Amino acid sequence: MLKIEHLTKIYGDYKAVDDLSLHIAPGEIYGFIGHNGAGKTTTLKSVVGILQFDEGEIFIDGTSVKSDPIKCKKEIAYIPDNPDIYEFMTGIKYLNFVADIFGVSSSDRQEKIRKYAELFELTADLAQPISTYSHGMKQKLAIISAWIHNPKLIIMDEPFVGLDPKAAHILKGMMREVCDNGGAIFFSTHVLEVAEKLCDKIAIIKEGKLIRSGTMEEVKGDDSLEEVFLELEEE
Amino acid sequence: MLKQLLKKQLLEMFQNFFVDRKKNKGRSKASSTMMIVGYFVFICVVFGALFSFFASSLLPVVDKGYDWMFFCFMGIIAVAMGAFGSIFNTYSGLYLAKDNDMLLSMPIPVGYIMASRLLGVYIMGTLYSALVIIPAVVVYLSHSFTVKALIGSILLVIIISLIVMVLACSLGWVVAKINSKLKNKSLITVIVSLAFLAIYYVFYFKANEIIRKIIANADAYGTKIKGSAYPLYVFGKVGSGDILSALIVLVIVGALCALTYYIIAHSFIKIATSSQNVSKKKYTEKRVKSKSVDAALLGKELQRFFSSPNYILNCGLGILILIGAGVFVLIKGEWLADNIAWMLGSENYICVAAASLICLIASMNDMSAPSISLEGKNIWLAQSLPITSWQAIRAKRSMHLLLTGIPAIICSICAIIALKPTILGAIMIIAMPLVFILFFSMLGLVLNLKYPNLKWTNEITPIKQSMSVFVSMFGGWIYSIIIFAIYFPLSGRISGEIYLIGAAAFTGLLCLALDSWLKKKGTKIFAEL
Repeated sequence: MLKIEHLTKIYGDYKAVDDLSLHIAPGEIYGFIGHNGAGKTTTLKSVVGILQFDEGEIFIDGTSVKSDPIKCKKEIAYIPDNPDIYEFMTGIKYLNFVADIFGVSSSDRQEKIRKYAELFELTADLAQPISTYSHGMKQKLAIISAWIHNPKLIIMDEPFVGLDPKAAHILKGMMREVCDNGGAIFFSTHVLEVAEKLCDKIAIIKEGKLIRSGTMEEVKGDDSLEEVFLELEEE
Repeated sequence: MLKQLLKKQLLEMFQNFFVDRKKNKGRSKASSTMMIVGYFVFICVVFGALFSFFASSLLPVVDKGYDWMFFCFMGIIAVAMGAFGSIFNTYSGLYLAKDNDMLLSMPIPVGYIMASRLLGVYIMGTLYSALVIIPAVVVYLSHSFTVKALIGSILLVIIISLIVMVLACSLGWVVAKINSKLKNKSLITVIVSLAFLAIYYVFYFKANEIIRKIIANADAYGTKIKGSAYPLYVFGKVGSGDILSALIVLVIVGALCALTYYIIAHSFIKIATSSQNVSKKKYTEKRVKSKSVDAALLGKELQRFFSSPNYILNCGLGILILIGAGVFVLIKGEWLADNIAWMLGSENYICVAAASLICLIASMNDMSAPSISLEGKNIWLAQSLPITSWQAIRAKRSMHLLLTGIPAIICSICAIIALKPTILGAIMIIAMPLVFILFFSMLGLVLNLKYPNLKWTNEITPIKQSMSVFVSMFGGWIYSIIIFAIYFPLSGRISGEIYLIGAAAFTGLLCLALDSWLKKKGTKIFAEL
């Protein structure tokens, strides 16, 4: 589903991501962990086409992000670390805007909006301007907008930040459902307990380099993910 | 602490002079100095000339011994200019700044935060009022210089800047209060502002008549003002060098400043954090018609425009003025045609004058110029959604074309009905402004891509204080004047209609060049923002 091959991103003299390669298969929830400034967000932004990268290749379902970014973007959804969405729109207008961009039919979008807005208890607030939303409400709206077009691959940067425990639980269920239906999830997190319980595979990045990746068992063995992560960070 | 806050405020206001947004690093001292000097010279030339001329026409009252009336009149205009120019800066600068929450959460006294914000309001108000009062002072001192008058003039400039701040803060506070209570904030803010603007324009257009009346009846007005509006008399006396009047006015204005500060200080936190006060509108599910990608993007741009009074008032006033001008031409068409022919000595000029005037008014609309910067932190959406950079840019251009093109066509049709040009002339009165609007819609985008600012904390920064808006607006004015002026030496050789075809074709070629730049380089810059 997602193939990152030798990805390198340089800011001036600084290598934010250095020769990173990762493969994510359909049905996998892939966690991405690392310290602040390790290169997680840069990698995710490169995958979704926000950042132009210097070396390497990224393929979404076999299509290169470099050569056909629009086709790739149609297959994915992205939720950034901070849900900065159009505050001048109401929640419902924003969802309809995203649905229009992805060409989602009226009936499909209505069904999705109804389903997920009810799940996240956001229905009553959909007519409100986004500027009046709390951080958590914006995050919920960003999640609904990401799910609205049935993406094959969902990229999320710290998706649980700002969510209440119930919403976080719902999101985990939604992530699993996507993968059960043949999709894939690639997300970054600092909450190692969540990563440990939720992910099929995990990748650890340090100073732009991938230092370990694989199934949860391959990465952590008999230790906890926290122990392994801290040990690798200290090396 | 206060020093740091003041520094931050100043840097935010004038960051374009010190930070190169394109390279994301500080400018060299030489580059900053050149930019500041260039800006200063431009402002001095345009506004200095305009208001010096205005002040000069009032000098006869000085000759009649009514120096105070000269300063009273010019002072009122300066106050109006300063207050009108900075009401919305005040509102958004004081209450809507995005870093209000962050600063309020820090161990900073609220008074310090307000003081730093007020400094911004004071500087903006002073700059606006200085455009009027400084030329007036220069004209007065060149006419009748005394040391006392020099001191009085300096004090008057200071007093005016303080009055402007008090007025701007009071009106900004009223706007904030209204905004915290009402639902249709944008609409009401725009209507209130337009009412102010209408008063301003009525005054502006009546200025010559008023000046004539004042000069003719200086004695009568002088007695009337002294009798029923004594404070205005004292205010005017400050400029002519009356130190006692200066002291009285300074004390009164000082007291007003203190009162304003007191009122704002007591409601600052409440208003600055009152975004949740408006009653909730409940969502009811409705069937929505799906739109094409381009229609969705255009819809988004239009929503952005109509959601912000700042955006509408600073970049979209031309919409109303174009329609208003159309109605005016319909009513006064014959008079206008006769006057153009009489003033310029030939009917040849009618088409050229009409087309250039519509272009001039259309250049008051520069909504495409800050549109890239206004994406701000939302830029990730345009970059991550399955749309091309060109589609995103094109939507901004379409928004500009729609919002300016339709009123321009209405104005052109009115002009055609009223001025009765030839068929070719009629076509060109419509075509020339449309090509002009297309050119400036793209020029605004080019400039904004060259000088983007996505890191603003207050939307007024990209809307009002950006290079792209400044160059687009003044560039539009200059270009329309050039279109008109170039025809003078050619009028004996070619008809106005043929000249307009040439001007439109030339502008069209420029459009092609900008279109090509936007498609090739602009899209790359947008993708990398």
